[in-house]
Amino acid sequence: MISIKIILTIFLLVILRAFLVQESLVLTKRVVAFSMFLVLVLLVMFPKISTCVANAVGIGRGVDLVFYFSHLFLLFLIVGLWRRSVVLMATITKLSRAIAVQSARKPQVGKEQKTEGKDPT
Amino acid sequence: MYKEHTVCVVVPAYNEEKLIGRVLETMPDYVDKIVVVDDGSSDETATIASGFDVHILRHPVNLGEGAAIATGIEYALLEKADVVVTFDADGQMSAEDIGAVVNEVLEEGVDVALGSRFLTARPKGMPRMKKIGLKLATIFTKLSTGLKITDTHNGLRAFKAKALRKIVITQNRMAHASEILSEIARNKLTYREVPVTISYTDYSKAKGQSIFNTINILYELFTGGGK
Repeated sequence: MISIKIILTIFLLVILRAFLVQESLVLTKRVVAFSMFLVLVLLVMFPKISTCVANAVGIGRGVDLVFYFSHLFLLFLIVGLWRRSVVLMATITKLSRAIAVQSARKPQVGKEQKTEGKDPT
Repeated sequence: MYKEHTVCVVVPAYNEEKLIGRVLETMPDYVDKIVVVDDGSSDETATIASGFDVHILRHPVNLGEGAAIATGIEYALLEKADVVVTFDADGQMSAEDIGAVVNEVLEEGVDVALGSRFLTARPKGMPRMKKIGLKLATIFTKLSTGLKITDTHNGLRAFKAKALRKIVITQNRMAHASEILSEIARNKLTYREVPVTISYTDYSKAKGQSIFNTINILYELFTGGGK
């Protein structure tokens, strides 16, 4: 009974660490990450808390409540990541286009001689 | 020069070393500028193209046909083209049809001429599933843009430069074909379809768009094309 709690807590610690090692992460995000970690550890250690809250809002089991919220959270996250990748792709396209236009190679086989263009040598 | 107008043909090419030479060879004399957009090919596409009297633009990374066409168009407009034609590098199209679409724009005065493989007799050797997929695409286009087009995914088109400045292509990959049509509808551009021939060789069948890609194209349209 104790062991699964320890495993889950270790996993949470690893995830928290992965967040906090980023030097670019601003302080507010660090605080949010840390408090989320605390809440999750509490839920893991004392599952009764989630059951109490779940009963209060009309859901039978606490695990279900956590399950619903984690799904919502993950969907939110996926949409956010996807939107970011769309913007990123548009940026890459713009950049590639600028490079392609700037380094365009003009014809070197003489001017406007379509028929002579047949010989690739 | 075609009737005193500068004609520019944009050829998007991704790993087309086998056929691009043959395609560039057949370009008609009245084409003033040929713009080959090498979409980050890993083969000898650019080297082969450089043997011809063409402008070569190279995407540093592969972005997709829509992006390549958009790059070619931007360049063609910088080069002061009056008419811009899009033409595939895979040898499925016939260069003789370029005259037909260009003529439609210059003589008939429409903003955009769109090639269609369904205006003449049924294309030879076209896979049946492909036909069904394209038919579905026409229905989708009718519903989403109100345009009655017989062939929504034909890469042979001619644009008046003035009309082209209004068309914005953001779909990097295959969904650009539908996007061009919705841009025509949005900007209320005049258009006409022109019969063209598309040949189905084993090479093109292997390389071309599979019917299963229809789902991908729809997905790209809905999600905005960013992967």
